[in-house]
Amino acid sequence: MDREYTIIGTRMTRTDSLAKVTGRASFTADLKLPRMLCAKVLRSPHPHAKILNIDTSKALRLPGVRAVVTAADAHGVKWGVFRYTQDHPMIAVDRVRYVGEDVAGVAAVDEETAMEALDLIQVDYEPLPAVFDPEEAMKEGAPLIHEEYPNNVNIHVHIEVGKVDEAFARAHLVREDTFHAPGEAYSTLEPYAVVASYANGYLDLWVPNAGPHVRAKALSNLLKMPLNKVRVRRINVGGHFGSRSEVSPGDLVTSLLAIKSGCPVKLVLTREENATCTRQVHDIKATIKTGVNKDGTITAKEFRVVYDGGAYSSTGPIATSIPYYVYEEAYRFPNVRYDGYRVITNKGIRGMYGCHGRAFLGGNEMQLDMIARELGMDPMEIRIKNGLKVGEETATKSVIISGGLEEPIRLAAAKANWAERRAGLKEGEGIGMGCVAVMCGFPMGFRSGSACYVKLNDDGQATIVTGICDTGMGNESMAIQIASEVLGIPVEDINLVNADTEATNLDPGAYSQAASFVGGNAVKRACEEAKRQILSFAAAKMNHPVEDLDLKDRTVVSKTDPLKKMPMRWIVREAFFQGKPIAATGAYMPKIDFQREWVKNPYGQMAGTYSFGCSVAQVTVDRETGQIRVPYFVAAHDCGNPINTMAVEGQMEGSVLQAGVAVLAEETRWSQGWLLNPDLLEYKVPLACDMPEIEPVIVRSNDPEGPFGAKEGGLTTRMNAYSAVVCAAHNALGVPLNEFPLTPDRVLKALNAAKSGGES
Amino acid sequence: MIASKFEFRSPKDVEEAVRLYREFEGEAVYLSGGTDLVPRMKLGLEKPKVVIDLKRIASLTTVEDQGDWIRIGALARIFDLKQNDIVRGEFPALEASLEGTSCESLQMRGTIGGNLLQNSRCLFYNQSEFWRRSKGFCLKMGGESCNAVPGAKTCFANYCSDNATALCTLSAEIELSGPDGTRRVNLEGLYSNKAERPFEIQPGEILTAIFLPKMRSVGGYEKLRVRGAIDYPLLGVAFSFVDGTGKLAVGAVGPRPYVVEIKQPFRDTVGEAVETVLKQVKPVGNTVLDPDYRKQMIPVLAGRLVNKVMEGAK
Ligand SMILES: Cc1cc2nc3c(=O)[nH]c(=O)nc-3n(C[C@H](O)[C@H](O)[C@H](O)COP(=O)(O)OP(=O)(O)OC[C@H]3O[C@@H](n4cnc5c(N)ncnc54)[C@H](O)[C@@H]3O)c2cc1C
Repeated sequence: MDREYTIIGTRMTRTDSLAKVTGRASFTADLKLPRMLCAKVLRSPHPHAKILNIDTSKALRLPGVRAVVTAADAHGVKWGVFRYTQDHPMIAVDRVRYVGEDVAGVAAVDEETAMEALDLIQVDYEPLPAVFDPEEAMKEGAPLIHEEYPNNVNIHVHIEVGKVDEAFARAHLVREDTFHAPGEAYSTLEPYAVVASYANGYLDLWVPNAGPHVRAKALSNLLKMPLNKVRVRRINVGGHFGSRSEVSPGDLVTSLLAIKSGCPVKLVLTREENATCTRQVHDIKATIKTGVNKDGTITAKEFRVVYDGGAYSSTGPIATSIPYYVYEEAYRFPNVRYDGYRVITNKGIRGMYGCHGRAFLGGNEMQLDMIARELGMDPMEIRIKNGLKVGEETATKSVIISGGLEEPIRLAAAKANWAERRAGLKEGEGIGMGCVAVMCGFPMGFRSGSACYVKLNDDGQATIVTGICDTGMGNESMAIQIASEVLGIPVEDINLVNADTEATNLDPGAYSQAASFVGGNAVKRACEEAKRQILSFAAAKMNHPVEDLDLKDRTVVSKTDPLKKMPMRWIVREAFFQGKPIAATGAYMPKIDFQREWVKNPYGQMAGTYSFGCSVAQVTVDRETGQIRVPYFVAAHDCGNPINTMAVEGQMEGSVLQAGVAVLAEETRWSQGWLLNPDLLEYKVPLACDMPEIEPVIVRSNDPEGPFGAKEGGLTTRMNAYSAVVCAAHNALGVPLNEFPLTPDRVLKALNAAKSGGES
Repeated sequence: MIASKFEFRSPKDVEEAVRLYREFEGEAVYLSGGTDLVPRMKLGLEKPKVVIDLKRIASLTTVEDQGDWIRIGALARIFDLKQNDIVRGEFPALEASLEGTSCESLQMRGTIGGNLLQNSRCLFYNQSEFWRRSKGFCLKMGGESCNAVPGAKTCFANYCSDNATALCTLSAEIELSGPDGTRRVNLEGLYSNKAERPFEIQPGEILTAIFLPKMRSVGGYEKLRVRGAIDYPLLGVAFSFVDGTGKLAVGAVGPRPYVVEIKQPFRDTVGEAVETVLKQVKPVGNTVLDPDYRKQMIPVLAGRLVNKVMEGAK
């Protein structure tokens, strides 16, 4: 069979893999610059307190200390993704709101001296009453953590579509359930680190980030520096999952120390600091009410979701919305009311997560199974019935342009032998299905688009310059592969300059699933323009019609006459001769409704396209111990078209771990404002031995907008693997499981509760 | 980073090690595999001035058949021991607990002696200096009361050695050499029953060997943990059956393993034995699963284990 593409869709070894698996790739903490100092941060020991006074004089007198910074050195600018959420000074000014909050920074000649200096900074605190539970925090009389948020409600997202109450009144069956899941940790293998260097009015930064342009903009605001003077440089990133999206307090502290000391400064957080002082994942409690017709058609949905937001806003409105959106993007809701409350508490800062919304998504899907059971329907049937199809709109008015939910469900079910497997289950076994659909990109104003430059070098090789950022998922390799396909040169002929705000142009970054769909599109367009230039020179030089020419194996070839060809580098050199070197720009702006806003106007086209996915998990449950195992897992993901099949499968497999198996074990544990498991021993990331046999199924919907039909590489699995496992557990046990993660103690509790309540 | 600077010494025999200890009395610690000690030093729970490495003392690493007794050198590595023919042949409960200890890469460093002498653990204690200082010191750190059970005047840290639990069912004895000479005691005599300082051991004493009566046993070990490897036990239950008598031990739910002898037929007596243990244990919320659940699992795991072992013995 003739392949449609040369390299797109192959199982190519990612261009970054060799350096990473041989330990030769450097990360921020590996960087060494001449005269570099070591930074340490003094942190709040109180969950909530007034700062009465900070005295740094003794620390400054310690030999070896080169700079100490406090909020007095900052510029009084607060961080927040939106104007209405700017509440985080990044270095505490007169109040601390969580244990671990940044209070002062020290730069010294070595780590020991910096640590000693921290002990010499005298901070006088007046402890204030604190609140840790979001429902408590919302009550009248609870300690107010920010003056501007009455009842500590930071964000309220209200969505209302159709006639919800009427629809419930008419529904054949209505169910209401509440699900709760504590927060999670991102558990990036790379602890957070920052290197900052300041010279000649320019600040250079190396920091794990998911979008250098957005990061530089945030820092230029915080530092009151012109944007062109803040340069975020490319560096390998050891994991992200949402945790590296936003500017972090360490960025500001390290930058100020570099500016003040005149030396490069490096801050490397400990594992504990990485868990408590960079962002964490929201604790979520979701009350879900669903009304259906006799035939299982969902007629009404109502949600009340409370998010524990920690001490500051961060991505507040986005985090308060995403779990709902990835659900309405999968299913048809003619009438729906969503109330999401993000509540401030005296706990660490929280952000977006690749698997954000475990209680919400797992809860919805488990409830759907309960309904299906009451109606005598197969869980697959009820999902297909309610799944969105191409051409339909989501409840909040986004049109689906490719895919749809049915195909991933059918393919996952076929791979898993759904019907036979279900029929053949033994005592203590269960099987479950979870679905979701995910936006590729979302409204970020003019930063929603991406631009790429490409130049052809005199040896016929190419340099592509793009803002695309790779936090570990293979985005760099993806960009190179796209360029290779279009330009007809092997990947080793392509130099990539990326994620460096000085050299590259705007790009939305490695979140919101925009890298392939938006950034990849820009790379493709730039390379296509370069190709047009090459072919038009070649047509003249070869005296051959341009329509019949193509690029292949570093050669300009005729599509019809195999003898007609010329090395590409001859053409490139010819172009230099004529003073018109091959250089091109390409850009892509997704078709989004920019009037859409997270709180004020949550309606309109949210993203350029949507990926759909379905996971199927099989579990075994030990009814005496409550222990659950996941021996088998199928993940079907509609990535549009895989650019690198192996990379997409890798993302899906990682997602099965991070969501699917994690829902048995991962949770942050707290004692008031203190995180009890800020490590990788007592925070239970599943291990290799806990992993199931995984069958990844790639679904191809060939998106009309995406580059080579591509959408995104695996996020639906990351957001529905939870659901598949909790639904399978519910299938095995036949009792509601409202508390996640499904640790054995919770499972036994649910079994006992059902026994005494006599209900299922 | 280890915040406190220390000197490192590598004596070649036990006498020299003890002499070094006395030279730096109060400021020295012994090091075997370091898999318990080094994490403690990183957290600032231990700030020795001198670290005395025992790994160079060759005589401490061997396993010997001494006729009536099997002598296991305290420095034998968990990984080597679980593959040792004598262990596999005679002491299945120990083989199973060794296999269940952390994970293979740690088993390759960790020693059996270090395993027995690992400090007790608590989510409120095994934390960084910043964490502990900001929360306020607990009993085990020299504070006024417990942080896991606020206000309590007892320490509830758990002693989490998998292998101590198994060794107790095998009537193990241990040999200690210190400034005052060498002594041999029952393994059960090692424990103080006080979680904040779990061992009855004199300053400077080195655990040199573990002795097991050479009698073929049947037995096993059941471990409760969240993940399939690495995790410390949240509960460990061991059972060995030697020469007509059974011994059941329950670990990781208090400052020591709880050991009960049981007579045949076990079907009737195991419940009673478990009751004896249940009366003594008070798990609290200082590790990752619910304390009531951990307690509930004692009869479940014990019942299963005894059945499994006796089925296998038929
Ligand atoms: C991630 C992780 C998971 C773990 N999981 C488990 C588990 O599942 N089960 C389990 O039982 N353990 C577990 N451990 C603890 C530890 O790895 C093992 O107990 C190991 O066997 C300890 O042996 P070691 O030689 O490394 O001890 P070391 O750290 O060298 O020593 C432990 C203590 O004993 C003292 N000491 C050591 N040898 C002697 C001696 N001969 N005489 C006198 N004092 C001595 C040391 O001073 C120190 O206080 C885990 C550890 C880690 C880091």
